[in-house]
Amino acid sequence: MRALMANTPMAVCTVLALGLCLLAQQAGASKGRTFHFAFIADANSPALSGAEQGIIEANLQGQFLGIQYVLEKFSSAAWDSARPDKYMAILADLPAEKLVALSRSNPIRAIFNLTAKDDQLRTICTPNLLHTIASMNMYRDAKQQWLTKQPVVEITVSGWHQDFVKFAARDLNKRYRKTFSQPMDELAWSGWAAVKMTTDLIARHVDAPPSALLRLLKTELAFDGQKGITLDFRPNGQLRQPLLIADSNGRLLGEAPVRGVVDANDLDSLGYAAEQADCP
Amino acid sequence: MKLIHLSTLIALLLAAGAQAATDRIFVTNERSNDVSVINGETLEVEATINVGNRPRGIGLSPDGKELYIAASEDNAIKVVDPVSLQVLREFQAGSDPEAFAVHPNGMIYISNEDDAKASVFDPATGQKIIQIEVGLEPEGVAISADGRQVIITSESTNMLHVIAVPEHTITANILVGARPRAAVFNRAGTLAYATSEISGEVKKIDMQTHTILAQTKIADEKAKPKDVLLSKDEKRLYVAGGRANAVLVLDADSLEPIKRIPVGKRVWGLAMSKDGKRVFSTNGVSGTVSVIDTEKNDVLKTITVGQFPWGVVIDD
Repeated sequence: MRALMANTPMAVCTVLALGLCLLAQQAGASKGRTFHFAFIADANSPALSGAEQGIIEANLQGQFLGIQYVLEKFSSAAWDSARPDKYMAILADLPAEKLVALSRSNPIRAIFNLTAKDDQLRTICTPNLLHTIASMNMYRDAKQQWLTKQPVVEITVSGWHQDFVKFAARDLNKRYRKTFSQPMDELAWSGWAAVKMTTDLIARHVDAPPSALLRLLKTELAFDGQKGITLDFRPNGQLRQPLLIADSNGRLLGEAPVRGVVDANDLDSLGYAAEQADCP
Repeated sequence: MKLIHLSTLIALLLAAGAQAATDRIFVTNERSNDVSVINGETLEVEATINVGNRPRGIGLSPDGKELYIAASEDNAIKVVDPVSLQVLREFQAGSDPEAFAVHPNGMIYISNEDDAKASVFDPATGQKIIQIEVGLEPEGVAISADGRQVIITSESTNMLHVIAVPEHTITANILVGARPRAAVFNRAGTLAYATSEISGEVKKIDMQTHTILAQTKIADEKAKPKDVLLSKDEKRLYVAGGRANAVLVLDADSLEPIKRIPVGKRVWGLAMSKDGKRVFSTNGVSGTVSVIDTEKNDVLKTITVGQFPWGVVIDD
């Protein structure tokens, strides 16, 4: 039924005269729109399958609205000869210096940093760079909070965990495993989140150009990252988000902000809340 | 002459139906795997029954003769006699059945969270009548009083899907706030109200134009609104506040807050008596049910039930 609904306008166009075809399209108003995203990486990227999962889910929503999303992959060399204007946003698995160059050469659209955890990336002036991966400071604070409560354990901190089940995390883990036959990790979550939050905003603002979309991402985001709490960006472009604590064997122990140590809803207890990019 | 006979017959049937009501309140306890049976007169638990694993969604047949309970871990709906409390039969209802609603014609509309589908079952035979593709993680189900419209909320697609009955076609897809959980129609079916858990919002929707007429964000940051009910005079909304640990009363027209009624921890389910005088809330983490007097909007009584009470239905 879903596929049928999505295909109807195209079928009408192939069988009817042009005039009728145009009428049918006009009746659909904003129907039949396609939005493109670029994904740039120089090696096999675990964030890519996450972004692809995001596209699958976005197209499921899009089919009800006559919207389609496409993800195109590039190496950074291939990107140099691409036409950036085609893309609503750019997703990147690149090291810090390449990210900065990319954001400065494409200042009007959102550039998602899916993988680089460097703290200094969050302090330099790159107003269009959005980090869905957490910063080193956030991991450090999460670890410290947990050790305040449980001082004698060795732990690891991550943005996602394959055994996380609360807040419908179970559903996302299940969907991802079904698509890729492998568990979701934090880089995959980071790619998924970038696509999911952007496409949900596009669905609500179909006429927004990339620059307006960037502004919406920075100011109006109320994202359900399947971590149980509304997620949005700090002024420096860092996504506020809970982190997950596992033991040295990878067994999931809990979440940060760590309840009992800080307010469990205080996402600004991870990393620098007031951190501002150093813009002139 | 024939007309008189018919109306007399209907009156008799209605009277028989009314007499059959047990005045019990049934509560599914998700973690202790049982159902608490509360006496509507004394407001005390008179029985606890085991009907299946991880009971969540609960509803009554239109004639009140059968109680339906979704046993999520058994992938089944259990059919229980509300008088004898015996399980009469059961049927498979897809993977992990959770929330459902009973149509005035007796069919059960259920969301299948794992499959991005809504299904319609005939509880008499256990047969699946039709399946409708909806968004990701379908959850809440609401049916208009005339039975012509069904709303399914899809939590990870952030939409209300409006399904026309009996055609079973999707007539509208309405984008709402993140993680829509539940919806309710007004009696005329011209308005609907929906809660969104992650965005903390309640929206009022015009069901003729499918546009949003009003919206509000619950002031309490911890609030994760879930179940929603409309008062009998349709002037107030009752919203289960989740982690706000309160039932929130809103003006149904403007969505302005009227009152915050503190109940137990993690408020999920709500049910209203037919006369509109009492609202029951399930307080998951506290393991209690709160009885609210809707005239004063105060808690009349708090009743200890099983672990993680989830759904509640009143057989009045």
